[in-house]
Amino acid sequence: MRAYRAKSMLWTWVRIIFLWTAVLVVLFPYAWVVLSSFKSPADLTNPTKLLFAPVLDNWERVFAGGITNNFGLSLLVGLATVLVTLLVGTPAAYAISHYAVGGRLTRFGILLAELIPPSVLVVPLYLVSYYLRVNGMVIPVIVAHLTFVLPVVTWFLISFFDDIPRDLEQAAQIDGCTRFQAFLKVVLPQVLPGLGAAVIFGFVLSWNDMFYALILGGETAKTLPVAIAGYNTFRGVQLGDMSVAILVSVLPTLVLSFFIQRRMIRGIGGGGVKG
Amino acid sequence: MEDRSVDTAKRPFSRLFPYEWRMMTPLLAVMVIILAYPIAYSAWLSFRNVDLTRPGRDAFVGFDQYVTVLKQPLYWTTLTNTFIFVAVAVTLELVLGMALAVSLKKQKRFRNLTRAILLTPMFVTPIAVGLMFRFLLNNQLGLVPVLLKKLGISIDFFSANLALLSLALIDVWQWTPFMMLMLLAGLENLPEEPHEAAHVDGANAWQTFIRVTAPMMKTIILVAVLIRALDALKVFEYVYAITRGGPGSATETLQFFIYKIGFGYYRLSEAAAVSWTVVILVMAVLVVSLWRTTRGRSA
Amino acid sequence: MKKSVFRMLALALSAMLVLGACTRGGGGGAGTDGGGTGQTETVTLKVIMEEVPDTDIVMGMLDEFHQAHPGIRMDIEALPYDQMRDKIVASFLAPRATYDLIVVDNPWMYDFASAGYLEPLDDRIRQAGDAYNYEDFAKPLRDIAEVDGKVYAIPFYNYALGLIYRTDLFEEKGLRPPATLDELMDAARQLKSGDMAGIAMTPQRGYKVFEEWGNWLFAAGGAIQDEAGNVVLDSPQAREALTKYIQTYKESAPANSLNWAFDEALRATAGGQAAMMLSYNWMLPTLNNPDGPAGELAGKFGLAEVPGGKAVLGAWFWAIPANSNNKDAAWTFVHWLTSPEQDTKRVIAGGAPVRDSVMDDPRVHEQGFGQEYYATVKEILKDASPLGDGPGAEEMIQAVGLELSAAVSGQKSVDQAIADAAKQAGEIMSK
Repeated sequence: MRAYRAKSMLWTWVRIIFLWTAVLVVLFPYAWVVLSSFKSPADLTNPTKLLFAPVLDNWERVFAGGITNNFGLSLLVGLATVLVTLLVGTPAAYAISHYAVGGRLTRFGILLAELIPPSVLVVPLYLVSYYLRVNGMVIPVIVAHLTFVLPVVTWFLISFFDDIPRDLEQAAQIDGCTRFQAFLKVVLPQVLPGLGAAVIFGFVLSWNDMFYALILGGETAKTLPVAIAGYNTFRGVQLGDMSVAILVSVLPTLVLSFFIQRRMIRGIGGGGVKG
Repeated sequence: MEDRSVDTAKRPFSRLFPYEWRMMTPLLAVMVIILAYPIAYSAWLSFRNVDLTRPGRDAFVGFDQYVTVLKQPLYWTTLTNTFIFVAVAVTLELVLGMALAVSLKKQKRFRNLTRAILLTPMFVTPIAVGLMFRFLLNNQLGLVPVLLKKLGISIDFFSANLALLSLALIDVWQWTPFMMLMLLAGLENLPEEPHEAAHVDGANAWQTFIRVTAPMMKTIILVAVLIRALDALKVFEYVYAITRGGPGSATETLQFFIYKIGFGYYRLSEAAAVSWTVVILVMAVLVVSLWRTTRGRSA
Repeated sequence: MKKSVFRMLALALSAMLVLGACTRGGGGGAGTDGGGTGQTETVTLKVIMEEVPDTDIVMGMLDEFHQAHPGIRMDIEALPYDQMRDKIVASFLAPRATYDLIVVDNPWMYDFASAGYLEPLDDRIRQAGDAYNYEDFAKPLRDIAEVDGKVYAIPFYNYALGLIYRTDLFEEKGLRPPATLDELMDAARQLKSGDMAGIAMTPQRGYKVFEEWGNWLFAAGGAIQDEAGNVVLDSPQAREALTKYIQTYKESAPANSLNWAFDEALRATAGGQAAMMLSYNWMLPTLNNPDGPAGELAGKFGLAEVPGGKAVLGAWFWAIPANSNNKDAAWTFVHWLTSPEQDTKRVIAGGAPVRDSVMDDPRVHEQGFGQEYYATVKEILKDASPLGDGPGAEEMIQAVGLELSAAVSGQKSVDQAIADAAKQAGEIMSK
């Protein structure tokens, strides 16, 4: 008995050390970024300098440059993308999962879009946006994001619907619902946590994209990643400003993830349907 | 699935457009509108000889572009590099993610805080992550090598031998949280009984994990690995921000290669051909490996 | 079941065709105004530029331009290099111009011009007459802008390389700015001590390593292309240059700096960890600026010509897309900005010079960065040569850059790398 307890004590310590090492590894780059955001150009030349006189110039410059606009745009694009994805993908995922629409072909076909590199898709998307005269606006960026968010999130949703037994609908229909009512009132609530996870997942994919936003968006449709990439200039990386921009993009999401991580985890695991 | 609602008899429309297809319509419509043209266009491009520096030229050349691509040694280097990158990164992410998930599940204090912190790397745009690590790992100017030097270790993170591995490690930093998230979710929703039964039978932690936990997580592991691998295939920002494919061609990856050919050398058709070779290859691999596992799914 | 599938697809297909028909037909000027009839009508010029200090200087001059030409509004999009190039490339795909005025990097010049994307400017230059003094632009710059006998662009600013070195450290060791490769290697060796590297190098694969090594090649007496444009890279001088380059990297460059590009070299030099670097000539004022990256070391830097006197030249030019709707207005702006008086003001404000007269102007010396600096730049520009001039220049540079990087990192022998580089360069530029 004592050996067992000693052993489990050991493992507990291993676990704790492991976890906190991971936290350190994650936080370390941010710490450096935070320091850099307060450094003057001379101090930035020496990235290892830890003691210095902090300045607010970088922060002032970046906010004066309109980083909050970029943040808002990224938010808009992400939400729009996710909204369309949910509206369109949820019923489809349900159909593919429960009614085997198109069989295995659809399941794989959906992934096809995932594989085509953005460098190639961007050209026809650019042409179309040009002809439709929406060049440089937010709309082509949203459409471009849909091309990779929609397939993946739908595919993701299919596996959630897979976990829900068909009997639930049958039972509801016996009780007098139409199939669609059964879908809305019985099946959907079961998948709701999973939908939440899918929303967040799709949002992150859109939030992080730089390539499409760069080519298809204009000055007025500059999302956060494009703004951040903008600090990588020909005359060197403007580390101070870029650090501020990175923090602007990370801090809100840190706060957000603190509150939603529980829901995400529950959602992905399959919600209320247990064995 | 013969159970059609009563209304079908009254509305012939429903017979032509069955319920399940009506549910699919929005997705089909959107995907056709936004994807059909770009995909078809890129396939069409790959069979022609479009080059932006020769504007008039646009002729059908059959498989010429494909042949040109397959004959380039750099193409094969690129393919190998990318697959090595994916294999290393995703494996590490799976192992670390699983270790983290298991640890987090048992954690009692500071639960929400640690989980929230560990999730954040996913939310930083990859180009920023690339630039961050470019300076952190810089041998002369970076914090990490400075600390390592104090321990007497001198590593050139972006040498010809290590560069690809370094990029993979950056990917691990950014995306292990995703794996961890998926696996933790899977873990938290596993039923308790099999584990208790195993404990009663005298199995230790490791055996329980291998024989009971892991098999039950098969689906979610598969989904996570697949999504992550498909995404890792498209690695671009780290290469773009740090090594530009070098030293030599050590970190030349597919996306970067395609981008260079299309936007750097203006040879759009060739770039399209490269992408389609990859699509065909990966689809083949996917179909072969997953065909069997998805058969029983929808019955 | 099958019938419904078929109908679905048929519907989808016809929807696509209808959509396609609608969008293809609609022409109509997207974006910019036609400029049309009225003299009082305001024309808005869409311009794309790179996000660099020289662009900021131009933006600072816009008010003055607007006073002189109130009918023209400028809408300038400033982006970093790669992004800018990507957008320009994408804009060429569209039948009508997205931009009325663009900046062009020298490697793109031949490809863009020969593909017909740029408007020839000879007539306009001729009309601008003596007051404009086109011959005043440094000759190597004018040569780049001339493709098949026509001029397609006007020089904006140069980025020729020079040797930037620590004057205080040189004085300490009794060194003079090196005039030959061997002197350079020697100085680097002598200056290397402890944490201080003799020279910060930029062997990053691609453009950077070639841009730096090109100077070594010239110093060894080699050349990239001959008069006719043929690639003459495969030479004993090239092998000598590369061998010495690798040797210096191993002896005097910062440890493990294989991946270094402009940024890292700048930070090392500005931070006092390297005594020299081959870099853009206008980095000198930045380094000597007490509010700049060098901090305490400001004022201790000097600029010299690269050993051998022949430097790698890079430059940006103004060009008007052939499919622009507002060519006249665009030319008005370019003409105004690059005329001798305005260019003088631009250089005084800190821009990199392109006109000989401006570099000789005492006002510029006084209000700018001093006589010595401009005299050195003028010397540099006299005998500077771009890395590639002709079709496929960009690709050639990348190909050679790959081979050079392979040699420096030890993956290929010097002989093999030079041979391969020359072979590929020849193939690319003869397509």
